Amino acid sequence: MAPARTRSPALARDLARLDERLSAKPAAHLKVNGLSIGYSTLRGRFHAVEDVSFEVRAGTNLGLVGESGCGKSTVVKALMGLLPEFTGISGEALLDGQNILGLSDAQLEPIRWNRISLITQSAMNSLDPVYCIGDQICEAILAHEKVGKAVAWARAEEMFALVGLPAERLYEFPHQFSGGMRQRAVIAMALALNAGMLLADEPTTALDPIMQSQIMSRIRGIHEHMRRSMILVTHDIAVVAETCEAVVVMYAGKVAESGPTADVLERPLHPYTMGLQNAFPRLPVRGQPRQPLISIPGTVPNLLLPPSGCRFASRCPFATDLCRTTAPQLHTVGAQSAACHYTERADEFRAAAARPETWRNMRVGA
Amino acid sequence: MTDTTATRPVIEARDLKTHFQGRTGIFTALAGVTPPVARALDGVDISIREKEIVGLVGESGCGKSTLGMSLVRMYQPTSGSITFSGDDITHVEGRKLKDYRRQAQIIFQDPYSSLNPRLTIGQIIEEPLVIHGIGSATERRAKVERALDLVRIPAAENIHRFPSDLSGGQRQRIAIARALVLEPRFIVADEPVSMLDVSIQASVLELLDELSRELGLAVLYISHDIATVGYICKHVAVMYLGRIVEEGRAEDILAQPLHPYTQRLMAAIPRMDPGEVPERVELRGDVPSPMNVPPGCRFSSRCPYATELCRAVEPDLTDQPGGQRVRCHIHDDRAAKARPELERPQAGRITEIEDAGLLAQTAG
Ligand SMILES: Nc1ncnc2c1ncn2[C@@H]1O[C@H](COP(=O)(O)OP(=O)(O)O)[C@@H](O)[C@H]1O
Ligand SMILES: Nc1ncnc2c1ncn2[C@@H]1O[C@H](COP(=O)(O)OP(=O)(O)O)[C@@H](O)[C@H]1O
Ligand code: SF4
Ligand code: SF4
Ligand SMILES: [Mg+2]
Ligand SMILES: [Mg+2]
Repeated sequence: MAPARTRSPALARDLARLDERLSAKPAAHLKVNGLSIGYSTLRGRFHAVEDVSFEVRAGTNLGLVGESGCGKSTVVKALMGLLPEFTGISGEALLDGQNILGLSDAQLEPIRWNRISLITQSAMNSLDPVYCIGDQICEAILAHEKVGKAVAWARAEEMFALVGLPAERLYEFPHQFSGGMRQRAVIAMALALNAGMLLADEPTTALDPIMQSQIMSRIRGIHEHMRRSMILVTHDIAVVAETCEAVVVMYAGKVAESGPTADVLERPLHPYTMGLQNAFPRLPVRGQPRQPLISIPGTVPNLLLPPSGCRFASRCPFATDLCRTTAPQLHTVGAQSAACHYTERADEFRAAAARPETWRNMRVGA
Repeated sequence: MTDTTATRPVIEARDLKTHFQGRTGIFTALAGVTPPVARALDGVDISIREKEIVGLVGESGCGKSTLGMSLVRMYQPTSGSITFSGDDITHVEGRKLKDYRRQAQIIFQDPYSSLNPRLTIGQIIEEPLVIHGIGSATERRAKVERALDLVRIPAAENIHRFPSDLSGGQRQRIAIARALVLEPRFIVADEPVSMLDVSIQASVLELLDELSRELGLAVLYISHDIATVGYICKHVAVMYLGRIVEEGRAEDILAQPLHPYTQRLMAAIPRMDPGEVPERVELRGDVPSPMNVPPGCRFSSRCPYATELCRAVEPDLTDQPGGQRVRCHIHDDRAAKARPELERPQAGRITEIEDAGLLAQTAG
């Protein structure tokens, strides 16, 4: 680690006060109710997210998973107030009881980074190429905390140490960093104000496996240590298994299934969750037979013309006429809930879903 | 099951190297300095038989694509040799090269940009036949239909459609059909499922597996998504900075790796079962640039167990009792015997690293 530069007693005192103030911030609680988001496009208006509800309990991590295009980033952008103009939003998102949807930029100003912060997939989009990284982190701190530049810079040095970057590299510009270092710099920035809620949208997807694992370890460690809340968006259900207490599985803009991660992964209720698990490649474990890898046939429906029944029906091996005509409601079973007409047959479905023929015999063609 | 161990390899490379000349910047030109050389592929042996899929894994930039491109002669190797069905094709040119390229095909990662959006599926698959002057129009049409058949895409419905009408998984099947239409014997599949959603990766992997057996293909399957390799490969090689550091049976490499790099690579993969999460030692710094290969063991700048011996002497790839081959002084005592004055690394003993200089050097 880089040698900590000697700080004047006054600076050290001010920094300690800032640190104390920031770590006293409570973990945030978030409740999203009936969130629907419609984009206007040249080909018409469509709902990228429809009637999505979930809750992040204070101090816990929630995983948001699903195939690309299912609306994960759209949810995150809505929570950060980053959706394009003319996007239709309905429903509410209560951050510690305050609805943060549809606020003006001025109203969002005290919330963004301070109470809710974001790590995006592409670090390059979050960093300004013309300012050195240290200045960018300081700017975020100075916008919310009444401290001098020197204190903000010292805080930035601490954040760099947390993510394993040497303090002297704060003086460098984004292009001087490798991909992994840039992503760590963005994490340092997102953590700088110790916001109660962190949104991490595929924070490591573009990185190599070792870097992915090292960065996820740091995020997990920091979050456990500071007891923050987090929404982790990913397509990797194993990352969710390692990181999140609860999970929301999205399919084509809607919630397919949600619940405690261990329950959902062990006893999925929704055939889509079962399919995702079957398709997920795993490392062999010595002396243990391994499930074959089974893909989900077919493709995600076009959201401009959403099917009238269950959105998963065209790919579901258990679909019936009811499924094709009537959209299922969310059914609750214990702590889990799933949007499927047949949650009471989940045991039977799970047994069938583990057999490759079940999926292969559907004639839809991937 | 047929025993293929007795058959001769379809493709074999010996000490293959492909170096790239760095670009000359204005400063280096003025200073009269020769630009640095990127040792992207720096001495690799590999051999693949009929019906065999060999897996090649490693982080980005370690030289996997360079090996694939060199094997199909899209890149000219700097040294070493490539033998195809017993013939040395390392330096063939002209007609012979064209002949070879027909039999050795490569499929790329991106099914969105690798297909010409203005051509129909039929035209895309026919194009290589036209380029190679193969068959009459009717014969070509039959070959295109057979190729579509092989990748399980109904020809009649799809031959006149455009790539934009197809899903990512279907496009990747078209790319495979395009490679198969020339009836190759060797295929490099360079990250063929990396851009596809997990939900459909399996079907493309399964297809590769079936095709390799049905058509007797030798396949090099390149992937940084290591878990997928275990499903279709018997043999796996792990690359680091231009060289193979470990190779052997897939189940050994994935479940019980010996090389410190492979161990960290496998530990990095997230586990579904919390009870299976392995210990994850933090590595130092980033992967060094192939223009700046560390002396001694190439992994020594990041290896948690590195000692003076590692910095001084590059280990050889050596056979292990279990059948794996590993390039590490922990698993080969010859260098330590020759240089007893240098400390030898030990499994699991984390060493301190003194040089901040190394960090600066490797963060490129
Ligand atoms: N700004 C936008 N305008 C119109 N459509 C969009 C916009 N952003 C995303 N979409 C569409 O909304 C759907 C959901 O996208 P997204 O939320 O990015 O999914 P995910 O993050 O799950 O991959 C996709 O069909 C995508 O093409
Ligand atoms: N055509 C090229 N010219 C110069 N350098 C190259 C070229 N192709 C690859 N390299 C360099 O060689 C190294 C290995 O690259 P590559 O084989 O693409 O790795 P991988 O496929 O494992 O990600 C990288 O450092 C890359 O920048
Ligand atoms: S409602 Fe029907 S189609 Fe939808 S997931 Fe359940 S069984 Fe399948
Ligand atoms: S030779 Fe040394 S540096 Fe290289 S992998 Fe083995 S222990 Fe690590
Ligand atoms: Mg997204
Ligand atoms: Mg590559």
